[in-house]
Amino acid sequence: MTMLPYAVAAWLFGIGLYGIATSRNFIHLVGCLGICQSATYVLLLGLGYRWGSIAPIFYDHPPGTPAVDPVMQALVLTDIVVGATLTALLLVLTIQAYKRGGSLDPEKLRPMRAGGGSRRNQASSRADDGAGKTS
Amino acid sequence: MTAFPAALLPLPVALPLVVCAALLATAHLLPGRLPDILATLAALGVAILCGTIALHAADGPLVYWFGGWEPRDGVHLGIGFSVDEASGWVAAFIGLLYALTFVFAWGFFDRTHGHFQILMLLFLAAMIGFCFTRDMFNLFVWFEVMSVAAFALTAYHLAESALAGAINFTVVNSLAGFLMLGGIGLIYAQTGTLDFEGIAAAVARGGRDPVVAGAFCLVAAALMIKGAIVPFQFWLADAHAVAPSPVSVIFSGSMVSLGLFGLAKVSAVVFGASGQVQHALPVLLIGLGGVTALLGGWMALLQRHLKRMLAFSTISHAGIMLTGIGALSAGGTGGMLVYVVGHGLVKGALFMIAGILLATQASIDEIALRGLGRGIWPAGIAMGLAGLLLCGLPLGVLDQGTRLVQGALAQQGHGIALAAGTIGAALTGAAVLRAAGRIFLGLGPDPGDEAGAPSEDEREKANRPLWLMLGPCCVLLALDIGLPADLIGHALPRAASAFLHRPAVEALAEGPAWLPWASLIAALAGAGYGLFRKTLPALVVRPVSVTQSAPTRALEVLHSGLIGDYAAWLAVGVALIAAVLAMV
Repeated sequence: MTMLPYAVAAWLFGIGLYGIATSRNFIHLVGCLGICQSATYVLLLGLGYRWGSIAPIFYDHPPGTPAVDPVMQALVLTDIVVGATLTALLLVLTIQAYKRGGSLDPEKLRPMRAGGGSRRNQASSRADDGAGKTS
Repeated sequence: MTAFPAALLPLPVALPLVVCAALLATAHLLPGRLPDILATLAALGVAILCGTIALHAADGPLVYWFGGWEPRDGVHLGIGFSVDEASGWVAAFIGLLYALTFVFAWGFFDRTHGHFQILMLLFLAAMIGFCFTRDMFNLFVWFEVMSVAAFALTAYHLAESALAGAINFTVVNSLAGFLMLGGIGLIYAQTGTLDFEGIAAAVARGGRDPVVAGAFCLVAAALMIKGAIVPFQFWLADAHAVAPSPVSVIFSGSMVSLGLFGLAKVSAVVFGASGQVQHALPVLLIGLGGVTALLGGWMALLQRHLKRMLAFSTISHAGIMLTGIGALSAGGTGGMLVYVVGHGLVKGALFMIAGILLATQASIDEIALRGLGRGIWPAGIAMGLAGLLLCGLPLGVLDQGTRLVQGALAQQGHGIALAAGTIGAALTGAAVLRAAGRIFLGLGPDPGDEAGAPSEDEREKANRPLWLMLGPCCVLLALDIGLPADLIGHALPRAASAFLHRPAVEALAEGPAWLPWASLIAALAGAGYGLFRKTLPALVVRPVSVTQSAPTRALEVLHSGLIGDYAAWLAVGVALIAAVLAMV
């Protein structure tokens, strides 16, 4: 058993998360999310692998031949389907956001914000108006 | 009681899926309101089926193995559903909430060829599957189906803020899915099975194992992201505030609490035998839950966008539910399960009122709406009542859940968590009551030019009769108040023990009777302060504004709406859970 697949998986997840945290472009961000997901592929395949075994297809092998774990491969297959769905959905949302906001920068497309200038006023007026209790 | 054919267990999942597929194929041919009717009937059918299943599960959990792949000689290869009484009732509640939401959304989406109903039915099927499954990977699949349907529903309006909110929601919850899958891979590699019972048995044999702890860390982080627990809570306010009102009802009423329901089930059933996990849980859950309850309540009080306020209130109540799980007793978990139902009923009603305001008054801004609600005063009464229930009016299901959670916490001497929950509930109640007073009674100072809402102009479809929208809202509140407490109190000790796979207990402790009243009075005081601040003497106002301004500004900066910040906080949260697990 080697630690390499796990180290690669952890590194991929970390680097993907770093990419998401620092991204200034939604398309780039979707790519980073894909990298995070690749970490799960590597992890699952690494967990299911057996050295010196065959693929779990017993057509031309006698039953009982050591094979890698087919359950993990099924999990990865499902994971790939999930990944495709998510990527497609996110790219659709990105295109729509670009059509309406004219930008792909997360900083310019914040939810529920009035936009640059009035934001501070809004925050302070809310603070004045709202907070009732310090309990 | 006659034996219930276990083969019917998949039916509540299959029914919405079949109706969903049929609608998808034929919706463009169907006349006007038929998709609405079919969807409502399907949801109602699910509720009745789940209720029947729950009644039959009282004697012991019902189990169904797909394709007849039953475990042999301790080897679990098949995928199964296993329904205990509590899971069945939670599923029945979800079905009912959907049915009422479909009535509320009657005619809400006109030219959509039933796409709204199709997505909602898919969402419903995923939630029921999530409640019923006894297989880790199956749990992940339902988790993802739930997420994908929710992402699409959030962005339904395709307005700018809705899109940004939906993207944040999608990215954070996708990361949750990846974490969960990683955790499931680890636990499978260690135990060789995906079945809840099989894993539990293998974990019990294994003793202290860092891989099991790591797997729990990842799965728990994923479920806490769904449950919007600090520091994973950021996505919720963005998503719930921009989603169409009927969707927000489902999000706050059932999706968030279902994440915590999953956490309770997984930590009790799957990881119940791992000493390391069980030792870490009280510290972790009660600590995070307390912080979440306070932060959510505080942020709710700062909002003037009504749906965003309700979203933060949901965060606060999710924190209270988490403290209930953290008590690790039948009382705490049982109280949490009752709380899930009570909170769903009340919060669903509140989001419906927000939807009514959006439809009839074309605004969702508390300040801009000042006094405009007078024409629809029945909605005002409902909102006032819901606000009072939210902060602890000793009446109904939500109150019963609160008392049980408080009883469990008090029994184990978690005084700080008890106080945090009470204050959190009081703060959210104060926010809702303040908004109700301002909108429906015209209280508070005249805003002048501040009335212009800083958020985007929003409006939801207006030409629906008021009674049609108010009806389901009132039914929700009536259910919260009217469900017989004796019945719940009688069934709960048995149901909670079965849920936790523990020997049955006799009775559950309730918290001190004065606590809900204290919370109620604090909420009324808070609401009064918010409305009449200008007329109060400076001696009262000054110290409060001075002490609250700095933390308030910090919190505002924290909730930046930037996906990058959310990802960073996610990493911090996972590291925090891992650190707590490593230290015990």
